[in-house]
Amino acid sequence: MIEVESLYFKYPLANDYVLKDINLKIGLGEVVGIMGGNGSGKTTLIKHFNGLLKPTKGFVRIFGKDTREESVAYFSKKVGLVFQNPGHQIFSDTVWNEIAFALKNFGFEEEIINKRVKWALEFFNLTQYKDMSPLLLSGGEKKRLCLASVLAWNPDFIILDEPTVGQDFLQKEKLIEIIKMLITQNKTVIVVSHDVEFIWLLQPRLILISNGTIVKDGDCKSIFKDNSILEKCGITKPQLVELYDELYPLIEQPPVDVIEAYSMILKLLRGLK
Amino acid sequence: MFWLAEGLVYRRQESIIHSLDPRVKLIISFSLFILSLFSSTIFEFIILLSAIFLLGVLSKVLRRMIKTITFSLTFVIMIFVINLLVGYDLIFSIVISLRFIAIISSSSIFFLTSSPDELDLVMRSLHLPYDLIFAFVTAVRFVPVILLDAIQIIDSQRSRGLEIEKGNIFKRIRNYIPILIPLIVQSIIRSEELAEAMESRAYGFSKKRTSYYTLHFKMKDYLILCLHLMLVVLFILLVYFLHL
Ligand SMILES: Nc1ncnc2c1ncn2[C@@H]1O[C@H](COP(=O)(O)OP(=O)(O)OP(=O)(O)O)[C@@H](O)[C@H]1O
Ligand SMILES: [Mg+2]
Repeated sequence: MIEVESLYFKYPLANDYVLKDINLKIGLGEVVGIMGGNGSGKTTLIKHFNGLLKPTKGFVRIFGKDTREESVAYFSKKVGLVFQNPGHQIFSDTVWNEIAFALKNFGFEEEIINKRVKWALEFFNLTQYKDMSPLLLSGGEKKRLCLASVLAWNPDFIILDEPTVGQDFLQKEKLIEIIKMLITQNKTVIVVSHDVEFIWLLQPRLILISNGTIVKDGDCKSIFKDNSILEKCGITKPQLVELYDELYPLIEQPPVDVIEAYSMILKLLRGLK
Repeated sequence: MFWLAEGLVYRRQESIIHSLDPRVKLIISFSLFILSLFSSTIFEFIILLSAIFLLGVLSKVLRRMIKTITFSLTFVIMIFVINLLVGYDLIFSIVISLRFIAIISSSSIFFLTSSPDELDLVMRSLHLPYDLIFAFVTAVRFVPVILLDAIQIIDSQRSRGLEIEKGNIFKRIRNYIPILIPLIVQSIIRSEELAEAMESRAYGFSKKRTSYYTLHFKMKDYLILCLHLMLVVLFILLVYFLHL
């Protein structure tokens, strides 16, 4: 459980608050999307979720514990953060060691480390690269490696900053599958993204941030139907919602994927006959 | 820890000192630097450091100047202790430490108040070869970028359970490996990208470079330069010749 209570934050040398009066509760088993324009404070917010940044005013509590009270390592074991740029974390001589790094830091036993690394390599189709230098992987593979290195220690919360940048369509679909699988294991996945199509396929609880404050926190379907809010945050509609706008009121809800759209249209056509 | 080094980075600001011709700023900074090298009593350093801090106040960068000094404090303490251990007396060790602080803070006056563009213009007015100027200015320009990288890298590795301040001295040095390797790799990638971007925009094509901005002394520059030189001469006379 992550609880954020009237959180204000400003960077040490800056004058203005980057985050203003944020209030949030995120429980286990949720999918949460965070969207907002460049510089609106999304990355700053998620850095509070494992104690990398501490509130200037207000509180952040992880499973009831104030982030000021324990080390980042303590919270990271429960909250895994995957950052935007793989170049900022890859350093090991082999792909295997890159995944094992965090497990060693958290003090897992040798046997468990081996098991977890092997699982992560297989799960992300990286086994063939295990003895290679991670620097030689392609951009998309590096991103997958970073996700693997976090999932390997099995945190309860997984936070992904811009996971779809530079990923081909196949990998995006795979990522959606992985996220859905994690949810069935009662994990929580928080995704920060500018990719409306990706967010739409996830159908998450959506949090919109503009200028360091939460503008809207609610069901993704109702938010994507609200033109004024989307305009305020500079977000476009997913194509399936545009389709719904065109067909309204012939269909009552925007379809969540192409298959549902297809069956809705088929039903309409049958009705016309 | 790395944000302390922000004290070295230029920020756009308005002040009397910022608006001076960069050549004047260089002369002020450099003369104080030279005086710091040759001064040898605590009294002299008190005068010098007061002058430097006064300049810091006038240019509104005092806070960041003090950060730079805090950042270098580890070295200052090391210098002080080593001098004592090697057998120099207390006064001498204090003088050496003060000299180090004066050198750092006097040179930081120029870098805190002059943009990389101004640095470029000053070095050109000294007729240095342009490749050298370019390399130096780019290095200075990249400091804030590399600092941001360093912050991101530290955040990434701390999120993976790295505890930099944990363990004995050898463990602590080893803790920096996961930070230094990505930092170096990122810098190499960035410099390669920069070289390619510059070549595709015809860097080095024309032999004779022109500049959009040129440097001109204004009344203010002459006044402040004269005032500064008078004070420097006065200081030299009083201290070195009258042994005040
Ligand atoms: N280390 C820092 N020091 C000072 N200011 C910072 C720092 N990091 C970010 N900021 C500022 O905080 C604000 C929010 O930045 P943040 O990175 O959280 O935005 P974001 O929503 O993640 O943007 P993007 O979509 O571009 O990733 C920006 O105005 C940025 O300039
Ligand atoms: Mg961001």
